[in-house]
Amino acid sequence: METRVFDVSMLWQSLPALLEYLDVTLLVGISSICLGSLLGGLLAYGKLSRNPAGRYIAHGYTYIMRCTPSIVLLFIVFYGLPQLAEALFDWEIDDWHRGIFAVITFTLLFGAYISEVFRAAYEAVDKGQYEAAVSIGLSPWQSVWQVMLPQAAVIALPNFGNAVINLLKEGALAYTIGLIDLIGKGNLIIAQNFGAYGLEIYLACMLVYWVMTLAIEQGFNKLENYLAKG
Amino acid sequence: MLMSIRGVSKSFNGAEILKNVNMDIDQGDVVVILGPSGSGKTTFLRCLNFLEQADGGTMEFHGEKLQLASASKQAIADIRKKTAFVFQNYNLFANKTALENVTLGLTAGRGISKREAREIGLEALQKVGMLERAEYYPSQLSGGQQQRVGIARAIAVKPDVILFDEPTSALDPELVGEVLQVMKSLAQEEGITMIVVTHEMKFAQDVATHVVFMADGVVVEEGSAEDIFSHPKEARTRQFLQRILPEQFEMAALI
Amino acid sequence: MELDWEFMEETLPKVWAGAGVTMELTLLSLLLALPIGFYLAVIRLHGCKTLQGIVRSYVSFVRGTPIVLQILLLYSLLPSVLNVLVQAMGWQINIFEAVDPFWYAVVVFTINTVALLAEVFRSALNSIPRGQMEAGLAIGLSSLQVYLRVIIPQAMVVAMPSICNITVNLVKGTSLAFLMTVKDIMAIGKIAASFGYNYLEAYIDVFFVYLVLCTIIQIFYHLVEGRIGAFRGKRA
Repeated sequence: METRVFDVSMLWQSLPALLEYLDVTLLVGISSICLGSLLGGLLAYGKLSRNPAGRYIAHGYTYIMRCTPSIVLLFIVFYGLPQLAEALFDWEIDDWHRGIFAVITFTLLFGAYISEVFRAAYEAVDKGQYEAAVSIGLSPWQSVWQVMLPQAAVIALPNFGNAVINLLKEGALAYTIGLIDLIGKGNLIIAQNFGAYGLEIYLACMLVYWVMTLAIEQGFNKLENYLAKG
Repeated sequence: MLMSIRGVSKSFNGAEILKNVNMDIDQGDVVVILGPSGSGKTTFLRCLNFLEQADGGTMEFHGEKLQLASASKQAIADIRKKTAFVFQNYNLFANKTALENVTLGLTAGRGISKREAREIGLEALQKVGMLERAEYYPSQLSGGQQQRVGIARAIAVKPDVILFDEPTSALDPELVGEVLQVMKSLAQEEGITMIVVTHEMKFAQDVATHVVFMADGVVVEEGSAEDIFSHPKEARTRQFLQRILPEQFEMAALI
Repeated sequence: MELDWEFMEETLPKVWAGAGVTMELTLLSLLLALPIGFYLAVIRLHGCKTLQGIVRSYVSFVRGTPIVLQILLLYSLLPSVLNVLVQAMGWQINIFEAVDPFWYAVVVFTINTVALLAEVFRSALNSIPRGQMEAGLAIGLSSLQVYLRVIIPQAMVVAMPSICNITVNLVKGTSLAFLMTVKDIMAIGKIAASFGYNYLEAYIDVFFVYLVLCTIIQIFYHLVEGRIGAFRGKRA
């Protein structure tokens, strides 16, 4: 096999083509984060509830997700969900967009991760805050919504930022089920060049991810500082 | 003269914390340093053990003179082996039992055999009344007990002088007595030389051979406990004592 | 929906047999990464500015990019680089046949884990109160002695939950080694899946094996933590 010299110009040339598909990557990521946060909130509610069934289900779900490689879950959802939908509802979802399967997978994962963040943050708020709120005549729900949750949100912020970054990185796996996102496009370019320029293209993809991660980190840091003052 | 300190100065970020502080310590002295918070007394004590590096000043110890700002690593190690330090928040090694805390400086620091160190360690723990807790970890001890172990750790290495940095300030009021009692007996029965930064006036009155009052990084006034408490010369000393010991002060003024 | 139970039963032992490769890959990478990661953490805390900058960039880059890209990049890079080296040495070895891809996987996962561990060790060492060092110096120990006997043992206990997390994530991460044609749990499952088009069944088997492995690892760490963290016990 011939060893070719690294071609930096190819790296820069490929960037515009790659970035065209960044929106797919981001769309999958952001959708999963939004839906996953809802699921995570629900799970955290289950973990904090007095209902033992709710606690077991929420903890069990989180534990299983923690032990499942993302790629395995992605494949199970991609291959299993159409079978399930057909068997249960006679739905034909084989031709759904692959992005949807990716979003479902990463929602399931993110929900588990983030439920732990939410739970820990809520438990970190001083219970005296709740008692003080109730004592001045707020209803239990009002106390939670207006006193506990805003404080928990500030506590959760750094870990939420980490989870977001991790999810975006996990999202890179979506190309394995044939989604044409940033990396999917990268692989197409490599294929068009008959397997050449792998290094340059992958490095270009990594740079995009790196910049994205750093930007998100900065964003969350700024937000944290802002909230810490206010 | 055991230790003679001259012209210690120290600044943090442009703020002068110590300005030309001098002090002499004789064998068997118990020097108590008093002063409002921010007076530099803790910084001064830490400079003596090089936990803080002074900007200037000299220390003469056992007839050897060295510059505090530029002492060699070897000189610092030597000083530390001849002195001991008791911390405000105890700083017991969290991963070592009480006995291991006391013996570590002997075995690792001074190459004493494990068996001998154990004997010395148990003896030191006995002196502070902590023999029964020898195998306990710091997390299993109360603050007062931890500080007594801290003192045992200090006396075990048989230092020429022990530096106490507000040893009772972090303790609950009901635990202060046991620690002061240990310090008192070390001073009076064992004749151990001490420099003590504290707010415990009673201890200063009962035990100190010499009291130093510091404020704003300088020594304002010094003398015997009697001098300082009954006949303070400086207005700042009087103000300070009046705030700390209002009742006693009024009584003294009446007499 | 009808799952092919017979197929699942048949496939499970085959997939389970891949656990050996998965664990070898995990443990080897972890054992290589532990000392290197610790060393990088010490550089981050005490090294010169240039070295600190290099380590920080390395950690940031590895943590800021998806592991799948690290695999794809290094898998296209490492064999060629080795090939150039071997040819420069004048050896008659065909690198592309002589080196088991397992070793490329070890390199990739070590590089990745080093960055994670460096960060964990740095914050664990930082979390030990400064007073511990001061107390050690004050009783006449050298700073190296204090490090070895007091600070590192405590930092290890602090780091243990994070190291457990990293190990669990590493086991899961090695499921991507199939991209380098390593025959681990995932690879065997994938082959079984495409052989008879029993995708779902095969991946449920795979999922189950990972679940068991991760549970074993977490129990193991829990026991270790209990032992080495005994000093943090509640007041007796």
